[in-house]
Amino acid sequence: MSQNRIKLLKYVVIAALGIISVRLFFIQIIEHSEWLAKADEQHTILETIPAERGKIYMMDRDEPVAVVMNQTTYSIIIDPAVTDKSELQDALQTYAPDYISANLDEVYATEGLRYYVVAKGVPHSIATKIADKGLSSVWFQRGSGRVYLEGETASGLLGFVNADGLGQYGVEGSLNNLLSGKDGLLKSVSDVNNVALSIGDDNIKIPAENGQDVVLSVDRSLERGVEEITVDAVNSTVATNASVLIMNANTGEVLTMANVPNYNPADYGNVVDASAYTNYVTEVPYEPASICKNFAFSAAINEGVMTPDTTYFNQGYEIVDDWKINNATQTSNVYGTISMRTALYWSLNTGSIYALKLLGGSTTDITQQGREKLYDYYYNKFRLGQPTGIELIEAIGYIEDPNEGWGRDSTYANMTFGQNLQITMLQTATAFSAVVNGGYWRTPSIVKGTMSADGTINPLENTEKVEDQILTSDTSAMMREMLIHNRDYKVKDGTDKPGYDVGGKSGTAQVVVNGAYDDTYAQLIGSYIGFVAPSGEMPQYIIMTKMWGEGQSIDSGIAMDLFNSLSNYVIDYLKIKPNI
Amino acid sequence: MKSNRKHKSDLAILFATLGLMALGLIVIYAIGPMRANVLNSTYGTDYDSNYFFIGQLRSVILAVIAFFLAFKVIPYKYIRKFAKPIMITALGLSAMLWVLSLAGSSLAKCELGECRWFQLGPASFQPAEFLKLALVIYLADFLTRKKEEGTIGDFREFWLPLIAICGLSLFLVVIAQGDLGTGVALISIIFGMLLVSGIPAKQYLIMLTIVLAVAVGSVATSSHRMERVDAWFATITGSESNDSTYHIENAMLAIGTGGLFGVGIGNSIQATGYLPESINDSVFAIMGETFGFVGLFLIIAVFGVILLRMLKVANGTADYNERLLVIGIFAWTLAQVTVNIMAMTGLVPVTGITLPLLSYGGTSMIFIAFAIGLSLQISCYTSREVSKENENINSRRGVRGAHYTSRRRNS
Repeated sequence: MSQNRIKLLKYVVIAALGIISVRLFFIQIIEHSEWLAKADEQHTILETIPAERGKIYMMDRDEPVAVVMNQTTYSIIIDPAVTDKSELQDALQTYAPDYISANLDEVYATEGLRYYVVAKGVPHSIATKIADKGLSSVWFQRGSGRVYLEGETASGLLGFVNADGLGQYGVEGSLNNLLSGKDGLLKSVSDVNNVALSIGDDNIKIPAENGQDVVLSVDRSLERGVEEITVDAVNSTVATNASVLIMNANTGEVLTMANVPNYNPADYGNVVDASAYTNYVTEVPYEPASICKNFAFSAAINEGVMTPDTTYFNQGYEIVDDWKINNATQTSNVYGTISMRTALYWSLNTGSIYALKLLGGSTTDITQQGREKLYDYYYNKFRLGQPTGIELIEAIGYIEDPNEGWGRDSTYANMTFGQNLQITMLQTATAFSAVVNGGYWRTPSIVKGTMSADGTINPLENTEKVEDQILTSDTSAMMREMLIHNRDYKVKDGTDKPGYDVGGKSGTAQVVVNGAYDDTYAQLIGSYIGFVAPSGEMPQYIIMTKMWGEGQSIDSGIAMDLFNSLSNYVIDYLKIKPNI
Repeated sequence: MKSNRKHKSDLAILFATLGLMALGLIVIYAIGPMRANVLNSTYGTDYDSNYFFIGQLRSVILAVIAFFLAFKVIPYKYIRKFAKPIMITALGLSAMLWVLSLAGSSLAKCELGECRWFQLGPASFQPAEFLKLALVIYLADFLTRKKEEGTIGDFREFWLPLIAICGLSLFLVVIAQGDLGTGVALISIIFGMLLVSGIPAKQYLIMLTIVLAVAVGSVATSSHRMERVDAWFATITGSESNDSTYHIENAMLAIGTGGLFGVGIGNSIQATGYLPESINDSVFAIMGETFGFVGLFLIIAVFGVILLRMLKVANGTADYNERLLVIGIFAWTLAQVTVNIMAMTGLVPVTGITLPLLSYGGTSMIFIAFAIGLSLQISCYTSREVSKENENINSRRGVRGAHYTSRRRNS
């Protein structure tokens, strides 16, 4: 009997081990891939190796100086299942109260949570103190924060970097790809505490490619000085905003791009109105108004149909397409037969409309040929309504087609004095450069290049620089002469220093309210553009100012006052030598 | 019943036992540092990376000594004389541990509320392991005496003392120490030995039914045990994961990722802290990850060889008492192996039982090694008639060669 019972036990052994073997076969062979997938989910950590963001330099005269840098910061990560809550809370409250990014009560109340970021952007010194506490299962993940050495200066130009490390607005946004570099990737199996292990052969490490250091052509001290003057101008007038662009008339290099009011890019989150981020110089098209008369006049002169001394009969208004277009200036001494020069000095709309007529081969009517010629100059030659090709994000703007749509003649009549079009300050200033610099339209630029480790500056690749003579040097000379004399009528003696040629033109734009120009002039945008040169020499710098305020009537005179302050400041700062 | 001359022991059991211990040592060598690292980083302890390997090495050395003491040095006949004192000592130790734990003495080492160890300085000792061995020796003696008295199956003379002694053992282990795993092993020992003791089948089945009913009842009334059962159900039905299912899931995950050939020694990821008890109760799962299906199949086959060979020894021994002893050791080993592996593969709920010879841990390895050593000692006295039935060429060569020559030299 006992032998039979022992045999029974033998079957028990065989059955038990057989069941186990089948079960193992099922788990290890049949379900193998499912378990692998689960294991992968549990074991693999994917960690980005953050690329260091490139620094931003400005010029200080001839020397590049860093204005945006990085500092190492840390994210603090915990395992709520292991990390002691009260000790952690104590450490965070003591050392890093400003950096706590999570509600610890909620984190600890969430079941199954093994990994949570509780603080972000913690500087190294503070992270070290918390690390010294020796809390269980606390990790520090290295990151990077942006430091803006110039504070609020040039904030509209520089932009900022958001919490995800993405550049937003300005240079940070426009050149994000260049600055950010390429994050590396670490794929690794990890132990239960998320420490990477060297086990396994599908560990991947792609090193980070650090971002490039970018050198702007903007002059740091000039930018700061210009912004101070501009802030004063805004504070002393009803304007709430002002933008200033200063560029080299002969190279298109931008020296100053200011937007007031500024904000603190390191604390971008506390900006109430997102419009503060806007770089109005490149991103917002508007109507620069009478400044555009320069372009209409240049076109007519360049076509040989007009000179500054060509005359026409000014009756103070013009009727086009049954619309009555008035001159802003209605003084009696400019009625009658006057020269185009006088029309420019008094900024007569009838004068620029006459230039359009002349372009069309007529002295009485706006013709198709006239519209097409003006379009050719505005759009194709001055490249208004087209991207300038600067390294920044820019708005395109809009120029009406000469042969499509209703009311073409009145539209084109308006375009001669800078309305019914949408162009940016940068497009305007670049076109104006061509008007005064001998006729060359050059692609504006604000980036000198990227800086190598040895300090050499390498121009950006893949940037097309256009140099196109769109006006004859004679045309340009006639325009310069008129613009210099234009200031004789407007600027008090002593404003422009002796030994310098300063030329300029104002523009006061009506604002479109409900689809029509507001003829009550309740809100106006004032602009002024001009150049400075040693007497008798070619212009060196273009300065453009724009001032405005919601619901405020900003006459171009206010913008001109700012220009006057700036032109002298620029002459001093850039040490432009006078010809006396 | 005739006395058999001594012959060569069962080499299969010998080599399988030593081989498994060596394998366990290698695996602990590979995963011990990970265990130390996890404990250090999680609990701030300061284990050396070789701590667990050295501990296991010490256990294996002691276990090998115990193994050879039982196998070659201490005659079982001598041990049998002390069956009663051994049993009383074992029960006394467990009772003492219980009292000490109730008194809150530092001599009782408790983990997670269960006090299963004596702590004497750096050494710890688990009396339940000793109790398993003692019960096997005692029951073999008890049943033999009852058989000789002809009182087997008698209520007063047989069942009452048996139930008393087994009930006390189970109480001390399952209730006082909360050690369900050892309880399962004890029940397996008791019913394995009863099965071949020659008690009437009807009585056997009735007792088995009663014990199973009590076991189910005790599980169902204990929230702690029920949780494990729920977790097991949750795992096999694939319902939502929680803390309780974590252990089984990660054991199966370790085994499942092993695939056919495993990830190779030293490449276990589950041992880096994901799998609880990775070096002791869950070592089989780590081996599954490391050696794959082929490796686990071989390990199971080796256990199968040990178990079947024990049955062969039991079958071959002419002595009733020795047969019971070997069956007791067999039942003990079978319970530990199957319950541990079945828990790791999600076939039964987790009970917390070590895998013999492979798991980290001193007491359990020393006592099971001693027990297997005893079965080897018995294997030297199997009768040739019976052993011929299952004999193969290897064992015949052994019978002819070694033991005759050695006997001649000795004489």
